[in-house]
Formats: sequence, structure tokens, C-alpha cells
Amino acid sequence: MKWLRQIFSRRRIYGELSDEIRQHLDEKIEELVAGGMSRRDAQAAARREFGNVMLTERDGRAVWRWSWIEDFLSDVRYGLRGLRKNPAFTAIAVLTLALGIGATTAIYSVTYATLLAPLPYPHPDQLVMVWPQFHGRRVWGASAGDFLDWKRQSTVFEDLNATPSQGATFNLATAGHPEHVRAQVALPDHYQMMGVPFLLGRNFLAEEGTAGKEHVVILTYKLWKRLGANSAIVGQQLRMNGELYTVVGVTAPGPLDRIQFDLIVPLVFKPDQINHAYRWLFVMGRLKPGVTLAEAQAEMSVVARRIAQDHPDTNKNWEVSVERLQNDFLPSDTKVSLWLLLGAVGFVLCIACVNVANLLLARSSVRQREVAVRVSLGASRQRIFSQFLTESLVLAVAGGAVGVGLAGALVKVVVALLPEFTLPSEANVRISLAVLLFTVVVSVAAGVLFGCAPAWQASGVDPNRALKGDRAGGGRRRLRQALVVMEFGLALTLLCGAGMALRSFWNLAHVDLGVRTDHILTFTLPVPEERLKQPEQMIAFYRELVAKMRALPGVAAANVATGLPVEGPHRGKQFWIAGTPHVERDARPNAGFQAVTPGYFEAFGIETVKGRAFTEEDRAGGVRVAVVNENFVRRYLPNVDPLTQRIVTENEVPGVQAEQPLVEWQIVGVFRNVRSYGLRDDKVPEMDVPFWQSPWPGVEMAVRAAGDPALLTKSIQEVVSSMESDLPLANVKTMDQIVDDRLAGDRFYTVLNGGFAGLALVLAAVGIYGVMAFAVAQRRHEIGLRLALGAGRNQVMRMVLREGALLALLGMGFGLIGACLVGRVLKNLLYEVAAIDLGVFAGVALTLLIAAVAASYVPAWRAARVDPIVALRYE
Amino acid sequence: MLRLFWSRPSANYAIAESEPSELMSKDEQRDLFPGALEMMILRTLKRQPLHGYALVQHIKRTSNDLLQIEEGSLYPALQRLLKEELVKAEWGISATNRRVRIYKLTPAGTKHLEHEVSRFERMLEGITRVLAPGES
Repeated sequence: MKWLRQIFSRRRIYGELSDEIRQHLDEKIEELVAGGMSRRDAQAAARREFGNVMLTERDGRAVWRWSWIEDFLSDVRYGLRGLRKNPAFTAIAVLTLALGIGATTAIYSVTYATLLAPLPYPHPDQLVMVWPQFHGRRVWGASAGDFLDWKRQSTVFEDLNATPSQGATFNLATAGHPEHVRAQVALPDHYQMMGVPFLLGRNFLAEEGTAGKEHVVILTYKLWKRLGANSAIVGQQLRMNGELYTVVGVTAPGPLDRIQFDLIVPLVFKPDQINHAYRWLFVMGRLKPGVTLAEAQAEMSVVARRIAQDHPDTNKNWEVSVERLQNDFLPSDTKVSLWLLLGAVGFVLCIACVNVANLLLARSSVRQREVAVRVSLGASRQRIFSQFLTESLVLAVAGGAVGVGLAGALVKVVVALLPEFTLPSEANVRISLAVLLFTVVVSVAAGVLFGCAPAWQASGVDPNRALKGDRAGGGRRRLRQALVVMEFGLALTLLCGAGMALRSFWNLAHVDLGVRTDHILTFTLPVPEERLKQPEQMIAFYRELVAKMRALPGVAAANVATGLPVEGPHRGKQFWIAGTPHVERDARPNAGFQAVTPGYFEAFGIETVKGRAFTEEDRAGGVRVAVVNENFVRRYLPNVDPLTQRIVTENEVPGVQAEQPLVEWQIVGVFRNVRSYGLRDDKVPEMDVPFWQSPWPGVEMAVRAAGDPALLTKSIQEVVSSMESDLPLANVKTMDQIVDDRLAGDRFYTVLNGGFAGLALVLAAVGIYGVMAFAVAQRRHEIGLRLALGAGRNQVMRMVLREGALLALLGMGFGLIGACLVGRVLKNLLYEVAAIDLGVFAGVALTLLIAAVAASYVPAWRAARVDPIVALRYE
Repeated sequence: MLRLFWSRPSANYAIAESEPSELMSKDEQRDLFPGALEMMILRTLKRQPLHGYALVQHIKRTSNDLLQIEEGSLYPALQRLLKEELVKAEWGISATNRRVRIYKLTPAGTKHLEHEVSRFERMLEGITRVLAPGES
């Protein structure tokens, strides 16, 4: 730390040096005077022999200096002083940069948290998902038999655990009204394996994964808070679906608070669930330390082949894929969208940089004199360059600092706008250290980016011409024009992207859903399987409920279904058409499957295009009937009369995860396609059967209201409570809300893109204004001359406007290339837009042109008001 | 006559012609090689601790005024030596009763001097051989 000590003692060292030199001269003078010289001559002689005192002191001090750092620091001080003296310039530049850097930081914080940050678990690289694959494609679930064999036969895992792909739901009795909560069902070790920390209590014990001891529950932090944050809750009992569960632990705040479920109960395999046929489990494992993914994959492939030999009827052609947990559930569209958003803000930042570069260029031409003086006094070109660059860096860092503040606010907005559960639960979007580091790098990069051109210009000043007051400008103006052209190119690209997103959103919002959405209230009725065990019980319960609801004032219709339009049938079913060649079980096609009461189609306004909808005659014990959608017919019954065909499926019994006997359904009608798998999808085949022939305990209900559907909630709740006291209404939403929720992801993307594009538009307009205003100020003389020679004021004005428009058009020409590239990527993410949508493009180009002309208008007007006499006298 | 190795632009000390002349211009002055002044300072201080003025007078005197050193050039050299901790300085009172800063060799300085002198002697020997007339 010698150098550090030296830095702090430097003031003393310098003082001693000066003292010493003074003493030296004194002594010399005394000696010369003593030798008979006059004091005056002695002084002159002493100085002559000594040499240049100032240079000597400087060289002496230089020994102790760190020259480049100190030059840099003095440049920083100088830069700060310059910025303080020009508050307007500083404010505009810093604000512009802060907008760019802030937006970039905010979006990066999302990208980082989602795609880049390590998972918040110990040794996250060891965590893997194990997926079954059929003919090379991932299947979203493994059978319990597969899982148990994997666990037994593999050696690469420290631990392997399973959770059902569909969690459970419970009606939790609380002090007020019953609450509908979602539960993760997991083997006892699951969260231990992941390394999830606990706030209170403990994880499940191994024995709590056995029948009879499984009435225990772990609460997530968010549910614990919602239940009143009782710190003595461990050991207490909760009433769930009418049964008592003992709370054993509460997880610490973290990823589980950003996931769909509220609590965790242990998974216990029932004997009939242990088979290879029914695939319903997500399998997660932790690799042993040192085991690579490839090694695990190799071993599991061997295991899968062995299982296929042992169970050819269920596992022939089934393989296994071992994949890292990180981002394994994230759809690639989300990934691409995130990178595109980051790209969009990157563009905004570039435009901000170009603007600041323009400002600096304007300022540096005002500072030509200052530079000329410094060059005359001996400053090297390199020194001037680094001084100007340092000033830009100071500006960038100031912009970055303000930008971080802005980003903090923006992140809150983004997180609020982001539809729930879009990102993985592990993604904790915040301004973390890594994000701050990124901001610092981006700020410095921005500083260099926008600082280089002005610094280069400034350092090239010819002191001779500058001091004579000759403001050279040809090259400088062309550079500034080039920057504006660039800016408009970037802005066009961004605006085109946003225009496409908007177009896509509009398309989606106006898509023909195939159903009426007005005046319908929907809700989930989570009747537990234990409550309604037999089909007869279910039928009786719902017949009574529907009758009571229909009797309510304001209710036009009430229907029960196992799914909803737009929300989707909650189940899919494998089937084949009776009489066609037999297909092996795993290769059978899959269709959306839901059971509905007869009035369902009418209540939702779903059109029957062929045959009939269900009637009250289609009841249990009668001929099993089904209706299918147009997609189903197009895909599976292209050349036959669908009404002559029968569909074969396995029967399905609530709560049973095993192969079931086959049943046949006679097709009696074809209904118009309904967008049931998201607004985008119009390809999925669907079959519906009568609820009375295939009842289910937990259902969705749709009530058509005469007036405002939301007002019915209370009376409906009363009817439900009168039949089942601790049964809550869950997911109460009007059909319009459901559609609106479906649009949330696209709305988010459109709003962000639109916001950034708007910002780009404003920045580009400000940029062109700056350049034109400056150009007019510089060309006052020329304009004065033109006016004196008889040019009309309108002519002058047109000249300036034309120049502005020309720059904008040139930029847009370049932007077209960018727009094409971006369009090709966006096309796949968006709904029914072409890579180059001419309407969007024309609209965007027109907007930009209008902005350019409007921004040039003030300078043009000013040009037209130039007084020739004043302008010419100025010379 | 003697130009030893490269010149350093910032070094404002010089070695004079063997016969100093009143008319000698700056161009005729020759640069010392880098480190020469430092070596002479260290050698002088090895004999006895001195303050700056006495040091420069001593060097001038012992070189018979052949080395015409700008007195000021001593000080940056001293600062360099201080920084490297080859010498140390203390304020004291001189023989003429002045408050002066007296420089003293440190052990590291002694070692450095030995090293430099032996290097210089080898170098000088080499140069002398090359310059010697008649041989080879």
C-alpha cells in the first residue's frame, strides 16, 4: 500500500520540494553575494544556473503522479464544471440518456432474472427434469411405474422425485368464507431435494408419504401471510375439503410465492396408480456431484430401453430425455419475445445516444475557440480527444445514475403489467447487482458510442482557422445529418415492430371466438371427489343446483361443463374412430374433451352446423352421444358423413389413474369451431359429450344473466352454500373478463413495444429538430443572402422543410431493411401479420414523416424570419 | 564528444564539452544517459549525507566542472530516488546554519549503487574497447 500512502502524503511532498528549491536558491544567492556580487546579479545568476524553477518543480512532482489517472480525474472535474455551467444542455442530455439507459436496464432486469440468473437453489446445475419421449417428442408426464423404475434402476441421481402435472385443489375452511386454494402434491423429499428453505417448521418426513399419515401440509409464505402470518401455526390443524391436515412447515419467501399453488401436500401412490399406462407425473431429479448431463442421459437411455423390453405394451418406442431445470418450462416464444424487447430498448438507447452525440457536436462547434486556445498552448490531439471523451463519459454516468432510478420505477410497472405466471417462478425481477453491473457497462459503452464522434471532431480543430472565427462546418454538418438519418432508420424499425404488434393485438382482440361473451358469469365449483363419489350422486347434485339457479331472478340460463370456451376443455382424450384399423395406444390421436349440459351450446351462442346439439333426452343409461367441432371433422372424418360415425375412447373415472374400459360415442352433431386453446389456436379438434352421461365432481358453471352478470355472484354463492356449506365459488369471472385475461400477454408486449416506439419517435423528432435548428443558425448568412437576392420567405421555409423531410426519408429507406429483418422474426410471434405489413409500414412512415416535418417547422419558420440586413451585417 | 545512449526529452541536464567555451550553444550540450545523475547522487551520498545545494556543488566540483549540470535537474532525480526509497531525507541544520533537507543513503540505495556501478563499468569497458584505435 506504499502508493496509497504516497498519494495521501503528496501535498506535504510537494510543499517540501518547493521549500527545498527556495532554500537552494537562497543559499546560492548568499554565496554569490558573499563572493562580492550585487544581490540583483546574484539573483539572476542563481536562477540561470538553476534552470527553469517551474519546470523543475513540475518534473519533481510528476515523479509522484499517476499521470493518466490524474489527467482523467482532472478531465472529470473539468467536465463536471462544464456541465454545471450549461444546466439546460446537461438536463436534456442526461434525461435523454436516462430514458434510454433506464428502459434498457428495466428490460434487462427481466431478461436477466428469467434467462440468465442462476436458479435460486443450492447447486442449481444439478437439478434436472426427466421427461418421457415418444418418437422423439416430449410428453408432458411420466407414469408412476416409469418413475419408480427410473428411480430404482438409475445411479446418476442423488434423488429423484415426482409431482403430478395437475396439482390438486382444496376448499380451505377459514374464519370468514371458505377459500379455494391450489395445492402442489409432491413426494416428501421433493422440496428437500430442491433445497427450498423453510421459514417455520420442517419439510415432510419420509413416513408422511405413506397412506394414513399423509394428512400434513406445508404452507407457502404467501398463503401463510394471507392466513394472518401466525408464527405458531406449525402443529395446528387446517380443515381442507372437510378433512383435518396438520401444518408441519412454512416455506421461506421465494420462488414458491410466484407459482400457481398455495400449499403442498404429500403424494402417496395408491396401488392402482402404479402402472406404466397412465402418464401424469413431472419428474425432477438432482444429479450426483460430478455427474454430467450427458452421463445421466446415457444411463437413462439404457434404463428406458430396459423398461421398454419389460413392458412392451406400454413402453415400446418410449425414450427418456434428461434436461436442465433452468428454463425447461419456458416456451421459446417467451424467450424470443424477451430478447426482442431487449433489442427494442437497445434501439431506443441507440437513438438516445445519437441525440446526445448531436447535442455534443453542436456544443463542440461552439467550443472551437476553447479547443484552439488549448491546442495553441501545447495540448496534444490525444489529450483533447480524451478530454472530450471523458466529458461524454461523465454525462453517460450521470445519465446511467438517473437511469437506474428510472429503471427502478419502470421495473415496478413492468412487473405489475406482466400477466401472472408468465415468467418462471424462479425469476425474481429486480435491480440486482448483476443488473447494475450491466447498467454500468451499458452507460460506459453509450458514453464511448456518443462521445467518440464529437471528441474526434473537437480534437481535429485547426487553431489557426478557429481563432480567426472561421466556423468550418461542411464535414461536421454532414456527420450530424448522417446521425439523424441513422436515428430515423432505427426509429422506423422500432415503430414498424410496434405497429406489427399493435396490428396483431387488434387482430386477436377482434378474432371470431365462435361464442357470445356478453352477459355470462362463469365460475369454478371445486366439489371434492370424496364428496361426490358415484355418478348418480353427481347427477342428482347438479340437477338440483342447476334448477335452483335457473329459479334465481335475473338468470336466463345456467349450465354445467367440465371446461369453458376460450379457457379450454380442461382435459384431452385419446380416441379412434370405430371401424378404422387399430392403432397402438400411445399413437392414438388426442382431442379436447368436455362434458356439457344440454343448454351449453345455446347459452354461448355456439352454432350447430350439422345434426343437433344435446337434449334432455341424452341422459345416463341412454345411447352415448357426442358432438364434435369442424376441426375434428376436417381432420379425422374428411370424406364421410360424420353423423354416421362413432368415436371410441377409454372411459374416465374421477380419481383413477389407470387404463379403463372402452366406450363408444355416436356422433350426433357438428358445431362451429370455438377458440378454446387460446385466442390464436383454431386447429384443435374437440369432442363434447353430455354431462349427464359423463358427470364429474368438480365443474365449471356458466350463468347467462339478463342484466349485469357480475351482480349475480352473491345470490349464486347463497344457492351454492345452501347445498354445500363450505364450498367456495372459485375463479369468478365474466366471459368478457376471461377473453380480456387471454389478451394480457399480448397487451403487455404491445404496450411495452408501443411505449418504446413512442419514445423513439419523440427522440427522433427532437433529434431532427436539433439538427435543423442548428443548420439554420449556421446558415443565417446564406439565408440572408438568398432573401436579399429575392428569394421568397415561403421558398426559404420550403427549403428547410424539404431538407428535414429528405433526411427523414433517407433514414426510413435504411430503416426499411431493419424493419424487414425484425418483421421476419416478429411474424412468428404475432397473430396474422405479414413480415412486411404494407398498411403498418405506410402508417409508420407517414407518422415519422409528419414528425420530421413538424420538428423542422420551427427552424424553418425561423429561417424565413431572418432579416437579411442583420444576417449580412453579422459577417 | 561523448554522447552516451539515448536522450530523454525531459532531462534538462547535460554533459559539457571537454573544453567549455563561452560560445557553447544549447545544441552542443550532450545529454547524460538515463540514470547517470542518479548514480552520481548515490555515489556522493555514500560518502556523506548532504543537502541538495551541497550535493550539486560537490558533483560539479569533483567533476572539475566538466559536467555542467543545471542545478535544478537534481531535484526531480532526488524525488525519483525518494520514491524508490533509495535515499531518505530529513530536515536539519546545515553548516551555514540554514534549515535544509539532508539526504541519506538507505541500505537499498547502497545495494542499488553497487549494482549500477558494476553495470556502468562493464558498459564503459565495452565502449572503450570498441573506440580503442588500432585493434581489430
